[in-house]
Amino acid sequence: MILSLLFFTFSFVFYLLTALLYVGNWVFKKKWLGQTATAMSIVALFSTTMILIVRAKESGHAPFSNLYESMMLFVWAVNVGYIAMEYKYKFKVMGVFVMAFEFLAMLSASLLPYKFKSAEPLNPALQNKWHWMVDLLSKIGYEKYAIGWLDFHVFTTFIGYAGFAISCGLSIMFLLKNRAEEKGGNNFLLDAFPESKILDELSYRTIAWGFPFLAVGIVSGAVWANYAWGTYWSWDPKETWSLITWFIYAAYLHARVTRGWRGKKAAYLSVAGFAAVIFLYWGVSFILPGLHAYA
Amino acid sequence: MATGEKIWYKNKLWYFFNSLKLTLGVLITLAVVSIIGTVIEQNQQWPMYVARYGATWAKVIKTLRLYDMYHAKWFLFLLALLTLNIIVCTFERFPPKWKSLLKHKPSKYDPQSFTRIIENCSQNHSVNFSGGKSAAKERVLSALKKKKFNVVEYDGDGSLGMYAWKGAIGRLGSDFTHISLLLILLGAIVGSFSGYKDFKIINVGDTVDVPYNEFKVRLDKFWIDYYESGQIRQFNSMLTVVENGKDVLTKQIWVNEPLYYKGVRFYQSSYGQSWSKIEEAGIGIVNRKTGEAIGEPITIKWDEMLPVPGTKYSMKLVAYSADLGIDEQTKTVFSQSQDPNNPAVGLEIYENGKQVKEALLLLKYPGVFQALPTSDKDLVLTGYRGIMYSGVSLNNDPGTNIVWAGSIVMGIGFFFAFFVFHRKVWVNISETGGSCQVKFGGIINKNNLLFEKELQDIADGVNNSGSKS
Ligand code: HEM
Repeated sequence: MILSLLFFTFSFVFYLLTALLYVGNWVFKKKWLGQTATAMSIVALFSTTMILIVRAKESGHAPFSNLYESMMLFVWAVNVGYIAMEYKYKFKVMGVFVMAFEFLAMLSASLLPYKFKSAEPLNPALQNKWHWMVDLLSKIGYEKYAIGWLDFHVFTTFIGYAGFAISCGLSIMFLLKNRAEEKGGNNFLLDAFPESKILDELSYRTIAWGFPFLAVGIVSGAVWANYAWGTYWSWDPKETWSLITWFIYAAYLHARVTRGWRGKKAAYLSVAGFAAVIFLYWGVSFILPGLHAYA
Repeated sequence: MATGEKIWYKNKLWYFFNSLKLTLGVLITLAVVSIIGTVIEQNQQWPMYVARYGATWAKVIKTLRLYDMYHAKWFLFLLALLTLNIIVCTFERFPPKWKSLLKHKPSKYDPQSFTRIIENCSQNHSVNFSGGKSAAKERVLSALKKKKFNVVEYDGDGSLGMYAWKGAIGRLGSDFTHISLLLILLGAIVGSFSGYKDFKIINVGDTVDVPYNEFKVRLDKFWIDYYESGQIRQFNSMLTVVENGKDVLTKQIWVNEPLYYKGVRFYQSSYGQSWSKIEEAGIGIVNRKTGEAIGEPITIKWDEMLPVPGTKYSMKLVAYSADLGIDEQTKTVFSQSQDPNNPAVGLEIYENGKQVKEALLLLKYPGVFQALPTSDKDLVLTGYRGIMYSGVSLNNDPGTNIVWAGSIVMGIGFFFAFFVFHRKVWVNISETGGSCQVKFGGIINKNNLLFEKELQDIADGVNNSGSKS
């Protein structure tokens, strides 16, 4: 517990610093601030990776088995997604929102009650490893690091969540920027945003990542359920909500590709989609009864 | 097909199902109504709904079948609507798309029309190249090839043309996706019509029949693994498939690791202390009058026959009940619960190899039933060693494989739809006095940002004048 807690504390501070640096870059528009912010986001990513690795070592299984661990995974995935995007498109203003979001996620993770944090051994239903991987790794004596459907399922689902989170952020930025553009005039903060057209496009591109990943998450969950519960689909609230979320984004894609819904309407749908994701992730676990213990 | 031509299926209904507004409507409706089923707990007992929602709302729940919403007719109707919508859309759009993908190359080169196309492209460039036409052509070709474009060249009067494309297969992504959805739905339908589910309690050592199949399964062993902390790590059953009296397959199953044989899966789903079978019992011999024990109790195994010392009888252990109850009407015994509240064993008593009596020994009430027909001795139950049972779920679902096949097709579809983009580029090179003007423009079906950069790269690759185009 000690070592992962240490990395948690580091990451917590790093995300705060990173967020502040991006804000600084946004307000003061200094190149060195932007570069430091990017460097810091990579340091934070490294630290978050360490939380996951150390946690896996401490519990003896992939660190995806309770709410706290899944939040670390979420924070990690959002950070990876953001860094990839900054590298590809070179827009640093997004960092302000993404890193502030990361910091808030860390804050809420730190406030979780103990029972959602403690590293527990896996209950029988959560133990599933790929045979081929066990066989492969046992040749070098590392079979205990083999993963299975559960790990794959959680991992892909969270990449999907991260894509939707970033898209939601971009859509909010779009709405702000779009309003400023319509009103005309200068706004010293919003002028630093990319053009609204670009924000709209990027928001779509991130959904184009999130949507298939959520689908892979749903399907791998079905494969796993078929092993664990004997049926691939049982309309459990979590399953149903993942489908609901997926339908919302399917509607988004169709509205966009074929009915030409761009801009505002698309942005609102993206925000609605992310609201569904939040409910899927948190709401279902706490409010609705079901087979999924967490996440 | 020519306009005005009427085809039998092209009526109003067809147009209704061909509509994307319908798609959006159905998708959003499905999303919204699905919420209901996650809020109202499904498949509970009727009184629960009355207690929680009151009589009026409970009636609504009953009428609309909200207690089993995902199987309600109206919900299935929505799914059917979506399915028809997908089928019609795919039929309507796929053939023309396929045709246009097959003959996308301009058949002849007309510099004028190329220039016009290029000007109409959302992305277009005009670059000066100092050098001859053929050098310019080489330059453009290599820039396009570097980006992995397919290129056809055209020669015109005085100018050169090129048409380049890549990622055409990406256009089929949505069709793959839609067909995969149909496959998944088909799998679900096949499963609901031809599969079956069952649940069997198997005592250690027992063999049970598998419904609709010739073979049987036997539970050889059941055991639980623990963590050091005492928490349960896993429960396991050793199952053997018996076919035509022969053991054909033995496999250890646990939660998450089923046994699969001839289309049937056997899942570990529960376990417990058996209430109808034990491993062995301790039988004491007592003086019938005084109840005093005579000698040490004997241990008798299930189905074992042992002589009762000091008498002419033998006994065989054949029955056990954890919570003995007697049905007043049929005079038969049964177990009232799974808990050992009133444990009892049944013995068959033999004399000279012939059964003369069935005896019932109660652990808590020794001597209430006489065990041996004529003797001054009697039998009492002094103890027993129970066995475990394993709860095994059986499942046969021939639709599952169709669902997985559909999922794979969906993966391919997503890859094409989201990560392969169809780009088309037209190039026109015209020479005026030792230098060339290279005009090119292109379209992409989505992801304009990427394309903008790509065309800029090509422009930079062609440009040798040093000035930015
Ligand atoms: C759950 C239901 C559905 C899902 C998950 C789904 C999925 C998809 C996906 C992933 C795409 C590609 C989007 C993109 O490239 O950004 C797409 C495109 C499309 N879908 Fe669907 N679809 C569904 C139902 C339907 C239905 C019922 C129709 C019939 C009207 C339809 C018509 C289309 C059309 C016309 C396109 C655009 C094709 C193109 O651009 O080449 N979809 N769909």
